[in-house]
Parts: sequence; C-alpha cells; structure tokens
Amino acid sequence: MGSRFLGRKLLQMIFTIAMIVILNFLLFRLMPGSPERILFRNPNVTPAVLADARARWGLDKPLIPDQLIAYVESTLQGDLGYSFKYQGQAVTDVIGQAIWPTLILFGLGEVIAIVVGLGLGAYAGWKRGGIVDYLGNGVSLVLYAMPYFVIGMALVLIFATALRWFPTSGMLRIGADYASWVNQLVDFLAHLALPLATVSIGLIGQYSILMRSSIIETLGEDYVTTARAKGLTSGRILRSHAFPNAMLPAVTLIAINLGYVVAGAVTVEYVFAWPGLGSLTVDALAARDYPVLQGIFLLLSIAVVVANFVADLIYGYLDPRVRA
Amino acid sequence: MTSMSARFLRLCAAGALAAAALLPSVTPAAASTLTLRVGTTQDLDAMNPWNTALEVGYEVFTLNYDLLVGFGPTLEPIPGYASSWTRQAAADGKSFTWTFKIRDGMKWSDGQPATAEDARWTLQFVLDAANGGNSIGLGYIDPDLKNAGVTKIAAPDPTTLVITNTDPSNRILQMYIPILPEHVWKGQTLKSIPTFTNDPPVVGTGPYQAVEWKTGQYVRLVRNPYYWGKRGAADEVVLQFFKNPDTMVQALKSGQIDYASGVNAAQFDNLKTVPGMVAVAGTTNGWTELDFNCYGKDIPGGGASTKALRDPAFRDALGYAIDKNLLISKVLGGYGTPGTTQVPPFQTRWHVEPDNPRTFDIGLAKQKLDAAGYVLNASGQRLDKQGKPLKLRLYMPNSDATYPKDAQFIKDWFSQLGIAITTQIFDSGTLTTLELPPTKDAPTQTAAWDMIIWGWTGYADPNPLLQIFTTGAIGSTSDSLYSNPTYDQLFTAQNAATTYDQRHQLMAQMQNIFYNDAPYHILYYPSTLDVHRTDKFGGWQNQPANGVPLFGYGSLDYTLLTDANAATPAPSVAVSAGPSASGGSASPAPVVPGGTSSGSPLPLVAGIAVVVALLVGVLLMTRRRRAATGEDDE
Repeated sequence: MGSRFLGRKLLQMIFTIAMIVILNFLLFRLMPGSPERILFRNPNVTPAVLADARARWGLDKPLIPDQLIAYVESTLQGDLGYSFKYQGQAVTDVIGQAIWPTLILFGLGEVIAIVVGLGLGAYAGWKRGGIVDYLGNGVSLVLYAMPYFVIGMALVLIFATALRWFPTSGMLRIGADYASWVNQLVDFLAHLALPLATVSIGLIGQYSILMRSSIIETLGEDYVTTARAKGLTSGRILRSHAFPNAMLPAVTLIAINLGYVVAGAVTVEYVFAWPGLGSLTVDALAARDYPVLQGIFLLLSIAVVVANFVADLIYGYLDPRVRA
Repeated sequence: MTSMSARFLRLCAAGALAAAALLPSVTPAAASTLTLRVGTTQDLDAMNPWNTALEVGYEVFTLNYDLLVGFGPTLEPIPGYASSWTRQAAADGKSFTWTFKIRDGMKWSDGQPATAEDARWTLQFVLDAANGGNSIGLGYIDPDLKNAGVTKIAAPDPTTLVITNTDPSNRILQMYIPILPEHVWKGQTLKSIPTFTNDPPVVGTGPYQAVEWKTGQYVRLVRNPYYWGKRGAADEVVLQFFKNPDTMVQALKSGQIDYASGVNAAQFDNLKTVPGMVAVAGTTNGWTELDFNCYGKDIPGGGASTKALRDPAFRDALGYAIDKNLLISKVLGGYGTPGTTQVPPFQTRWHVEPDNPRTFDIGLAKQKLDAAGYVLNASGQRLDKQGKPLKLRLYMPNSDATYPKDAQFIKDWFSQLGIAITTQIFDSGTLTTLELPPTKDAPTQTAAWDMIIWGWTGYADPNPLLQIFTTGAIGSTSDSLYSNPTYDQLFTAQNAATTYDQRHQLMAQMQNIFYNDAPYHILYYPSTLDVHRTDKFGGWQNQPANGVPLFGYGSLDYTLLTDANAATPAPSVAVSAGPSASGGSASPAPVVPGGTSSGSPLPLVAGIAVVVALLVGVLLMTRRRRAATGEDDE
C-alpha cells in the first residue's frame, strides 16, 4: 500500500476529528435548556445559587471565544473536565466506567453476529433455494426487523424470570465475595449471556441478508465460472473466490457497526441495566451534562473515524483498485 | 463433508462444550451476609449530601448520616444524632434556647468519637453560609436551618448542643441536615463542596455506611459497627438503579431484589396478587398539576397567548371542566386522590380542604366563562375580552408517561368549552428554561407558553411548596409566574407564627387563596407504588401509616427489618450496640468490607481482551486474503 494513500487518509482523519471537537462544543450548547435549571428545579433554590453554579461551570463567560478556547485547550491536554450531574467526578472516570461494559457487550456481540451472520448468509446464498436459505432468510428478516428491547424482554421473561437460568440485570452480583477469579468470571458470563444473546440475535439478521445477496451476485461472475471450469471444488470456490469478493460490502457494514460499538444500543442497556455508554449518553443529554456529552461524542466520533480508516485500509487489501 | 464444514463443526462443538462447562456452575457466591436489595428507577447523582437532587440521594445520605433529630413512624421527632432535647423560651417570648443531649460514647463509623462539637461544626457551617447569603451545594437542604430561625449554636461540652432560635414552631426538629464528622469535612469550604465527591467508604453515624458506588449501577452499604440504635437484620443494603421499570419488576419476581420502588399501576396490579409479595400504595408528598401562565406583564415576542390567563375568574371556570376522578381512574389506574391545595394531604398536620371546592360540571364551566365575559362567537369559539378566539398551548415534559394522557383528557374537556388546545412535549431541560420570564441576568427569556402539566415533590415541612407561589420565586422556581401580595404577606406571617394554631390558620388562608385564584389546578396527588418480597425480610413498616416502607424520611425503616428466616428475628451480626459509654470499646475494628465485585479489574481485562480479539480478527482476515491471493497467483 502506498505511503501517499496512507498519508492522505491519516490527514483526512485528523481534520475530521478536529472539526468534530469544535462541533461537539457548539452542538450541545445550542440546545435549549441550561444545566443549572435542570439540576436545581428545587423549591428552595435562590438566584444566587444558580449564578454560582454557572460561574463554577464557566457558563457565565461568553460562549465564543472564552468558553470555546478553554474547551479546546483542555481537550488538547486530554482534560475533559468534570461532570455536571455527577458533581466532582471527572468525565474520564464517568466515561471510563461505562466504556468497558459497552465494548465487551457489543464487541463480542459483533464478533458472534459477524461469524454466524456471514456464515449463514454465505451458506444460504451458495445453496440458494435450499432449506437453510429458505428458513435462514425468513428468520433473518424477522430478526432484522425486531427491536432490541423486544428480543431482550422476551429473553428476560423466558430465561431469567421463568427458568431462572440467568440474572435479569447488572454486570456482576453486587457485593458478592468470590472464592476465585474463575467464579467471578462465571458470574460475569452469566450476567452477560442474555444481553449478549440479544445483541447478537439483533445483528445476525443484517449480516446474513447482506452476505446472502452478495454471494449470489458473485456467483454470476466470470471468475467463478472459470474456477468451476478449472475443476476446483465447491468449497474451494466459495472460500477462495466467492467469499472474499462478497466480503467487500460486508466490510463496509462491519466498519459502520464497529464504529457504533462504542455508542452501544441504548435499549439493550436499558433492558438489562447494563451500565454502558448508551444509557450514560441519554442521561447526560437529559441533564445537559455538557462535559460528559462532549467526552462521549468525542470518543464516539473518533471510534467511527478510526473504524472507517481501518475499513479503508482493509478495502485497499481486498480490492487493489481502491488504492489507485 | 468438506474440510471447512468439518472444522466449523469442531469449532461449534468446542464452543458448546465450553459454554456447558461454565453455565451450570452459575451459582451465587456463598452468602453468609444477609443483603437487602432495593431497586429504584432513580440513579444516584452524588454521595455528598449537599449535592444530591434526588430522592435516592436523600435515602443514601440518611443511611450514612444521622439527622440531629430523626423521623418516627408517623414522622414525629425521634432521637437521631441527639438523644433528647428541651426548649426554653426567653423572657420576652421572642427567642428560644434548645438544649440537645448527645449520647455519651457515640462513635463515627471509623471509630472516632462523635460529639456535640461535630453537630456544632456542621450547623455552624450552614449558619455561616446562610448569614453570608450563600447556599451550600445545590441549596436543597441548607434552607431548613434558616427556616427554623436558628441564630446561634454552641457546644459547651461533648454531650450538649445548645441552639438559639427565633422560630416558635418546632421546625428545628425537622431539619433535614445530616450531622457530618468534623474530622472528615473540616477542610471543606463553600467553594469546594460542589466538587467534593465524598467517596466511599463514607464515615457517618447512620445505621449503614456506603462502601461502594458505581455510577449508573448501584451503591452498596454495610452495617455501621458502631451504630447506636436498633439494628436491622440486613448486614448490607444495596440500592440498585434500573433504567427500565419492567426489568426491575422482573428482578423482583425472580428474587434478585427484595424491594421495588416506584412501579407503575399495571405492574402494581399484577404484583399484588403474587404470593410472597406485598404491594403498598402510599400517599405521596407531592402532586401533578395543570399550571397557567399568570405573568402580569406583557413580554415582547413572548408571554401567554391571551390576557385571559391573568384573570382568576377565567382560570377558576376552567377548573369546573376537569374531571379529576376520571383522570385518576384512567391515567393512574385508580392510584391517587383528587388534587386541591398546594399542601398535599400527606402533610396531615397542615393540609386543609378548600372552603368552596369545585365539582366537575362542563355546563357550569360554560356559565362561569360567559359570566366572566368570555363568550362564544357564531362558530362556537370562545373569545377572550379582546375578541380573539382562545387557542391555548399546553406543554409538558417528557419525564412522565402520564402527562400526555392527562393532556388528551384536558384537551377534550376544554374543547367542549370552545377553547382550542394544542399540545407539545418537551424534554424537561428545555421546558425549565422555556417557562421562565425575562430577568436581569437572562433578558432573552420569553415565557412563551399558556399551560403546563408537571409536578412537584415536597419536603418534611410545607414551606418550600408554599414558597413557589410567592412573587419572589418568579424567575427561579415559580412556574405559574403568579403574584399576589396578600399571599406573600401570609407566607411571611406563617413563617413568623408563634403557635401551631396560628401557623395552621395562616396556612389554611394561603391554601384557600391558592385554590380560589387557581394559578394551578392540582390534578391529583398520585400514589407511590412500591412492592416488596417477604421471603427474606420481615418487619416492613410504612412511614407514615399511609406511606410506603422505604424512601420515607430518615433511616428508621431499615433498622426495623427482621430476618424472615431466623428462628428469632435478631440482627445477624453480634456487635455490642447501644449508646453506653463502653459500647464501642468491645466492637470490632471499623474495617469496612469491600474490595469485592466492583473493585475488580475484570471488566477492564475482558474489555481489553475483546479489543485485542477484534484487532487480531482484522489482521487475520487481511493475512488470509493475502495468502489466498498468493495461492491464486500460482
């Protein structure tokens, strides 16, 4: 891969992130409603208390340039400030607590959905009209159309409340004393099972449908016919010729979805009280917690930009024409 | 079978085996501790009592700390940080000296002596702030001291606290101010409080001490080994925060929590028939209202859409077109009582019903509107006095699913009067600013609205709920922008009343003025719907009798819980209790259990593992592709 290609992509990425940093600042402040009003809807509150809070949060100074400069300066130094809602807690701490649960849940969910979804789709496309295609496609469509919370609540009702195989919510049994890390891991996996199943089931549909149509498309290509003529086995044709070429659209979808791994899915987190970034975002938005919002969106934007950058690189590998 | 599918099958089998090996061993950790697990849909915002705006924050800080005087089963004063008290009136009858006795030998949860000096330091900090015209933190709890008329605080010896005040009532016994350990809080200032997180383990004198707080997840509290009062059966208390009430209910059903706070009517009806569950519909110290933009001045480019809203006769007439009983039955599933005055019936000592209550009668509402000069035109539209058809904007926040339902009914009733209503839902943050009139600091605010559906929750004393209708609250907490000089005078007078009867009589007048002037129509006082299990804990007691067991006032109810499975209900940890001087000496060292689940780096490690797995996956994919390409080139 040419270094010019890499350099150009890197520059684009840095420029995008710089733009996002500025946009992040303006976006939330343009929303109506001020944080101190929300936090202080209190029959005892006095105007002096409100003014104090604004001054403490630096909201009493002009938006541009004072607040903007202060924000850009501190962001460049890696200081994301303090949460308005969780008073006194650093944004990095607040986000730091929420990011790992989201990464685990959606990262693993994505991996499972990619493996199962792409496999299912490829097989269905390869054996078009067969029983797997017939059933798989129908099920995929239903799963694709189903919102996370419907899948999630169904799983909770069956596996948590009725069968009691798994806990309904949370990430670990609160206050449990674990004999060893193995027990803790088992407890964690038990808590993870239902949300992970929800995320995977919710994602499998779209990968499977995309891969199926993509495989069908490649099967009509000349190189597949050539491969057949050369006498290659079906499996070899699928693995070496059809599948890699059919991967191109899937890589795009995976890249987009990976970017959103960080954002999580608010509904899954709500259903399972999974302490991730999605629910943190909603809460921060409701509280007009500017610093936390800025932090989350910065992280999110970087994740999306980086995921796209990686996708571009992979694209370059998969399809040499892209590098041109 | 091709080699690929064989390999795939092998992988699947390995995965299934691994899962099978792990899942059957999912058992709760050996539970020698008896843990009370409480579910709520609120999310704790602060461990520092000055910085919390939420009911759950109050619940946590009253478990951590004692109030100077506690709240009993009927909200009567009971021993708190102080074990007893007496009052002495000055000769002129204008000031009072309160002498509070502090237990000899009482200790903080870290083993340090808890004395009158700690109480003096805490209250003096509040008094100094008030005297300087300042608030502490969010400013929710510190006004209690000022409202109690406190002027001087002294601690002549470790067991005596002397407070001088000018308030003739006993509001000093209802101050919701936690007594803090001076040795922990001494360095704090007004400036530092808003960013002081008061991280666990918390040091207090309350029955349970927070040892762990995961924002957005839970707070875990363990028994205070030095607690002076009755010991509840729970060794630990966990307050778990749910985003979704349905999940909370499922957790209750499956026994993962013992108490669910704030379920909805349908869930409540469903749970109350389940064996082993007790569903309690308690009275709420608050209401849901329809409020009017009563602002008396014109606002360029904003304000109410008609001057009719400034007319009490107009607002009064609309009150006859609201069927509050129907709202309670259709919107609340029957769990509430019709609203009347701004002092909720929860405040049994102060609530009075209005002298001239309205009834639901659309015909009468029409007559009253006609009589007040708001007549219909030929096409059936009701006109204001300027001849303009009345079209009112009805707004509500998105914080409560019942508000849009209320709005639909109100829209229908008012349309029968010839008044058109447009409804709009805002997020709470937007509405808090939208409703404000222009002020010196914020001249661009426009208060461009006509009616809002929203609610308030009160304090132990009715003062804050009375205050939001005073002229002084316009621009801060007033959301009706109502102003009535007589009401303002009565507000000041009831604060200065010298006897209960006098204050009660003044407050009754205020409630009647409020009801007749109708800056609000209080739609209803909704019930608080809580459900708890009885298989682990007994001794549940409502506070007050018409309230719910937990999330009341103070921490009393946690200390009354018994072990449902014990032969004789007794605390499960044998620690010498009580206020005796020697009480603490034989107690175990104040080591707070902790460092279990959440302190672990497991999520971090697992997260890193996932990221690494993803990267490796990407790498493998690209390498495979290269290998495949090489293969083809051959």
